[in-house]
Order: sequence, then C-alpha cells, then structure tokens
Amino acid sequence: MVTSTTTQDVMSPESVQQAAEYLRHANEQRLAIEIVGAGTKRGWGNTVVSPLLLNTKRLVGIREHSWQDLTATVAAGTPWSTMQEALAVHGQCVALDPLWPAKATVGGIVATNDSGSLRLRYGSLRDLIIGMTVVLADGTIAKSGGKVVKNVAGYDIHKLMTGAFGTLGLITEVTFRLHPLPKSVATWTITSNDIAALDRVRDQISDSTMSVEALQLRNHKDRFSLDVKFATLPDALGDHSRRLHALATSLDVASGDEVVWLSRENIFCAERATAKITMSPTKISTSLAKIQAAGGSAVVQQSGIMMASLEADSANILGLRKLFEDIGGSFTVLQWPESVAHSPERWGDTIKGLPLMKEIKRQFDPNRTLNPGRFVGGI
Amino acid sequence: MLNSSILDALRSAVDQGDQEQSGLITSINQLQTYECDGLTNFRTLPEAVVLPRSTSQVQAIVRICAEHGIPFVARGAGTGLSGGALPATGGIVISFARMNRILSIDIPNQQVVVEPGVINSHVTDAVASHGYFYAPDPSSQSVCTLGGNVAENSGGAHCLKYGFTTTHILALEVVLPNGEVVEFGSSAPDSPGYDLRGVFVGSEGTLGVATKMTLRIVKRPEAVQVVLAAFDSITAAAQTVSDVIAAGMLPAALEMMDRLSAQAAEAAVHPNYPVCEALLLVELDGPEAEVRAQILEVEHLCKQNGAWEVRLAQTAKERALIWKGRKAAFAAMGRISPNYIVQDGVIPRTALPVVLESIERMAAEVHLRVANVFHAGDGNLHPMVLYDQSIPGQEEIALDLSYRILHLCVDKGGSITGEHGVGKEKQQAMGYMFSEPDLETMQLVRHAFDPQNIANPDKLFPRPRLCAEKTGPYTPHPLEVAGTAEFF
Repeated sequence: MVTSTTTQDVMSPESVQQAAEYLRHANEQRLAIEIVGAGTKRGWGNTVVSPLLLNTKRLVGIREHSWQDLTATVAAGTPWSTMQEALAVHGQCVALDPLWPAKATVGGIVATNDSGSLRLRYGSLRDLIIGMTVVLADGTIAKSGGKVVKNVAGYDIHKLMTGAFGTLGLITEVTFRLHPLPKSVATWTITSNDIAALDRVRDQISDSTMSVEALQLRNHKDRFSLDVKFATLPDALGDHSRRLHALATSLDVASGDEVVWLSRENIFCAERATAKITMSPTKISTSLAKIQAAGGSAVVQQSGIMMASLEADSANILGLRKLFEDIGGSFTVLQWPESVAHSPERWGDTIKGLPLMKEIKRQFDPNRTLNPGRFVGGI
Repeated sequence: MLNSSILDALRSAVDQGDQEQSGLITSINQLQTYECDGLTNFRTLPEAVVLPRSTSQVQAIVRICAEHGIPFVARGAGTGLSGGALPATGGIVISFARMNRILSIDIPNQQVVVEPGVINSHVTDAVASHGYFYAPDPSSQSVCTLGGNVAENSGGAHCLKYGFTTTHILALEVVLPNGEVVEFGSSAPDSPGYDLRGVFVGSEGTLGVATKMTLRIVKRPEAVQVVLAAFDSITAAAQTVSDVIAAGMLPAALEMMDRLSAQAAEAAVHPNYPVCEALLLVELDGPEAEVRAQILEVEHLCKQNGAWEVRLAQTAKERALIWKGRKAAFAAMGRISPNYIVQDGVIPRTALPVVLESIERMAAEVHLRVANVFHAGDGNLHPMVLYDQSIPGQEEIALDLSYRILHLCVDKGGSITGEHGVGKEKQQAMGYMFSEPDLETMQLVRHAFDPQNIANPDKLFPRPRLCAEKTGPYTPHPLEVAGTAEFF
C-alpha cells in the first residue's frame, strides 16, 4: 500500500516480499527512504530528508512461539506490549523493558537498541535476539542466526542490525530467546539527600548474591532515590528484604511501586534536550550529581545507562559530553527541541572505528537509500 | 614460500634483540606443532610462526602480511575443534603464547582486561578470592585461551543461564587486516555506532586479530547444588528437561549423557555414575532459599518422569567429580573406540527424542555406534561417531554420518554448530544451513573488514563446488589434482 503526505510518499508493505520490492525499486531510482515503526523515537538521531517513508504497521503478528523451547519469532511492526501479552499466556516474556511499550514496535526498539532496568539481569537486545530477517537496500532478503538459543554459525548480522537505526537494512522479523516470568517480585525505594550513602548501598547490592532484577538511581529537586527490584521465589523475598534493610540501616527504605521502573519515560520533554549517557557503574552517582548540578533530571540504571533531561543549551551540552567522554563514557543527544536552533552534533565527534562503520554502510547500502544521515558520522 | 626479505621483516617485527627468545619460527620440525588444531584430520604446514609480545608487534606483523598479501591466522592454545586455527597454504601463524597477561582487575565495575593468550580458567582463579568468576566455561577451559574463545564465541555447560562469550566481552582492541588498531565497544555500555564488537566475536579470525579484551565477570552465587538423575530412556530424561523449563526454572546447567558416554566417562575418571540409558545433570545456583526450593521441584519432576535414582551431590568435591566426568566425556571416548568424530549440532530442545531416534537409526544403517553428550537445556548435541580407522573405508562412512547428523539438525530447525565454530570442518554445511543471499550478506561484512581476504581465509564460508563433487569434508577434485581446474 502506498499513500502520500504533503512531503513524503508512504509505503506500508504487508509482507517481507512486498517490502523487498519497495526497497529494490527505490534503490534503483536512487530515492532515499525513511523507515519508521510507530514513530515513538523518530526524533532520535539526525533528521532524515527523504521523498519516501516506509512504515512497518502492516508487518505484525507473532510468527511462532515455541514456548517449550523458550523462543519466539515476531514481525517487526508488532507493538511490544502486544507481543508480551501473547508470550505471557505461557508465562514467558522477552526480558526487556523498553520505552513506551504499548505503542513502540519490536522493529523500532531493536533498531534503536533501547533497553531499561531489566538489562542488569538479562542483558541487552543483543543478548536476547537469536535471529533476524532483514531486507537490504537492494531488496535482498537475508536471514541471520536462527531459532535456537545456541548457535555460532556465521556472522551475527543481527547484532550489527541492532542499534543501527535502520541504516543497514529493514528489520522485518526478529527471533528472541525468552525467559520465564518471575514468580514473585518486590520493589524497594531508598530515598536520601546523601547521594554518597545511596551509592554505598548501590555498590553493596551490586556486590551481593541476592536475586536483583533491576537497580537504578534517580534525582529529584533536592534528593535522590535508589530503586531495587528483587525477582525470586516467595521464600527468598523475605530474606532479601531483611538483607536490604541491614545494608541501609540509617536510610529511609520504603516498599516501592512498580511505577518507578517507568521513570525513564518522564525524562522526555518536548521543550528540553534528552540525552543518553553511558558510564562504568562506579561513575553512576558522581555522574548523576553532575547532571543535578547542571539543572538536569535523570534516571541511571546499574548497567551504566542514563537518560537525562537537560536545558537545550548547546555549549552546556558539549561541555557535559566532553566530561563523559573523558571518563570513558558516551553522550548522545537523543532529542532536541524543535524550537531551539543550533542542535549539537547528536552522536559526538569521537566515534571509535568510524571509518570501518562507513565502509560497512557502503557495502550494505552503497546508494545511501536507507535512513541516510541519521546515524553516527552522517551514516 | 616466503622470501628472505619478508622473513627478515617478520623477524625484526617480533624480535627484541634476544636471539635465545626469537619470536620467529621457521624450522620445519617446530612448524609442525602448528600444522593443525584440535581437528587433526586437516593439516597444513605454515610458512612461519610469529610470537608477538605486544599489540604494536602484532600490528607490524599484520602490516607486513597486508603489504605482501600473506594470509595469517591467529592461534591461542590450538584446542579448537573445527580447524579454525588451521594455517592457510602459504600463510603464517600468529601465536599468542607470549601475550598472556591479565592486565587489570576492576572488581567494583566487574571487569577484567586480558591479553588474548590468557587461559580461560585463569581469569576465575584471579578473581575467585573476591567472590567472582568468569562464566563461559568450555570443556577445555583449563587450557584454551580467551583469544580463541572470542574467535569462536565459545560456550560451555553454564551458558544456558549465563550466556556465551559474546555476553561477557565488553570491549576489544583489534588489529584489522590492514594493520590499523581499533577499539570495539568500551567499558561503558552501548558505544555509539554499529556493534563491531558483536559482529567480531565469533567471526573465527576472519575479520582481524583481537589483541586485548575487556571481560565481564559475575558474582559467584550463594549456593550451588547438582542433582544427578538416572533414567531408562532418553525420552524420559528429555521430558524432564522440558518440564524443568516449563516450571519456570533456569538452571545454571542442564546436561545429559547417554549410556555410551556415561560408560566412557566412568571408565576414564570414575565419577560414580549410575549405569543407565540417560543420565541427567541439573545444576541449580542462586540464593540459598531459592536453590533449596528448586531442588525439591527438580527432584519431584525427575521422579515423575521415572528416574530410578535421583542423587544430590553432598559436597563440593562430589560436585566437582560429577562435572569432571561430564567434561572428560570427549576424551574418554578413546577408552571405548579407537577413533571418533565429535560433532556439534543444535536442535530445538523439544526435538531431542525424535532426533536421537533418527541418529540411532542412521548409525545402525551403517553399522557404527554414536555416543551422545548434550547441553540439553539449550539443545546443543555432541554426537560422537565411533569408528576404527584401521578398517578400510570406515572413516569416510563415519564422516559422512557425522555430516548427515548436522543436516538433520538443520532440518529440525537447528544449527550446524553451537559452540565449536564452522572453521574448515563445516564450511560446506554452511551452504546447507544458509541460503545464498544470507551468505552474500555475511560476505559484505567480510569485504568491509578484509577486502584482501588475508585474515584466516578459506574458512567459515562454503567453497564453490565443482560439478558432481560430493558433500562432506573437502577433498581435491580429480580435475583439480590433474591441474585442469582450480577453485577461484
């Protein structure tokens, strides 16, 4: 199906074969294509200028759920929550908590390599994806990986596609390894204005043998919160609660609400800049303090990934970026308010291996058909 | 053959003025050490072996190779089972025997930086006193190196719960085939850009040479318990595996051995295994209370499926002995057969009973025995085809059977390799598992990294076959031998 908006012709393929036809035709005609799922993260990265837009809204559905093998293959346009609801029928899930799951699609989440608090225990998408079908710019339909969890045959093209922002190919189907839904969970929140005290507890939890499923630090106007989620059998939850209270004796420990794990979504605000900042775990508290001092608000996961909301001041942002790059981290501007001119370079200027990345792009998409310019170094 | 000026250049790249400790090997009797890896039926004498001590020396070596179009292969301990470290004709071997230092240990960030020649189990040894371990545990972990593990994306019994090598590699320093040194990934997550780290791990030395790696280590669990259960049939044991998974448990390891394998292991290291058709080992780890509850559930499921002996290892020594038996299973085959071929297929675990039945039938048809060891939790089979090389023609029959078993795995929705890699051994099977467009897409990556095709060439991808050539391990076509046709 092809429709038109004022600026772009819109393609909504209903099959992988049709998507391949669309891409092949556009590539032959040297027409650039912007690829979108539900568009929840369309503002991430550099703006794509293209006469064509391809969305995946008709590429939907669970293709296969081999629940006894703990695997599932899902079409890229399927909303994340729709997939999780289907998997939950057999008490399973893809162990990842991305942003805006009710709307965001599997393909969009994979293309942007989104991840939340569960990454601490279950890894990132690159650990959870075991196979993928992609359509390359010239219409080639290629499969990578397979439908078994353990498989080292050939290159992991699916790892390259994950987080490539649609610049190497159109993701049409993804095969995940699944995890059982935890039997019981409990969230606790410790709040204090003493970030160093919270950091000591964070470090001790990280170094413990408890079944920690998620751990994050947040800032408020004049204080900080440390959230921890245990996922284990009911017998062990009581033991973990006692241990946590022993670690945080002089602090305010409260039974938490599951809603704290959606805090990342509150960071996004149309009038402010939103950044993804990464760091080693030991830099978590000092990094959050810096963002606080810069007038920002942030949530930082134990994995070392922070989502931060900051004033859209280019000079300030560049200063912070240098600071994080100097400690071995990264600073990516995900969103920039439309009302503010002079957006800083979104990805930073010190991308390691950029010439090789550009060569990979040239091999996969020599005509620069797919999402041209969106990614690092103008890829 | 490499000329003297190239050899001089290689010598000056690796020598530090110490003739006693020369980093260049050219004498034939020494080169023979490097003519094969753990897959001994493929052998090629390298032109030279270099033993660098630093990244800059590796870089100098690779630059020489790039300049002269010399193929190279990196080698750790040479324990690989698919011929990944087999030298290319006219090529050199870069041995990492002298780059074997643990460079830093960062417990608060749960990271260790190592050189590629470090032995896998030495990482755990180095961090054990802090209560941590390095999770990927291939059976050869006491001798295999991390450089080789990265190349093959090695697994092991505990990757069911903890993941593979790729899950535990945060960053790599890599010398690209053009001699450039690049860092992939970083100690912080999600470096902006393509996941070069992810595509490099498991690329079997075809995209460059890793010279430094940052590993993720894991907190040692509070409690570890091993349940051993004896069954009268593989089907009953396989059903137990499915039931354990369906109950929402994710054991640290779920291993199965058939009668022949258990018998061989018993003869080799005396782990006191019961004599049975199928032996199931279930390792549970985690917080004490969690493990206690799960043991009861596993024991119940084993008995429900007809296990006639369910034994909980009582001491750490007993647990270690049970695992020693399992890890000795490959080598133990020598006790029950003069020769054997180890295969490495993967199937969806639910297909286990039907696949084993087929393997048994296929083996009976050609009058051979197949012993089976499985990482049952993730469907990774290691069928061992037993044969006698002294019987004319039997090796060919055994090889053919082993490849047909791999094809069976693919037919059931699985893979030709779960942890040993494709290497030289399974080049042709890649063409059975992947379509032409799939393989051509992989070649795009190869071209981006190594346009000269000098990094471990002629591995991993299928070679074009001449008309009427049969599948199986590569053997020169008569036309090729006669010099009237050649591969291109």
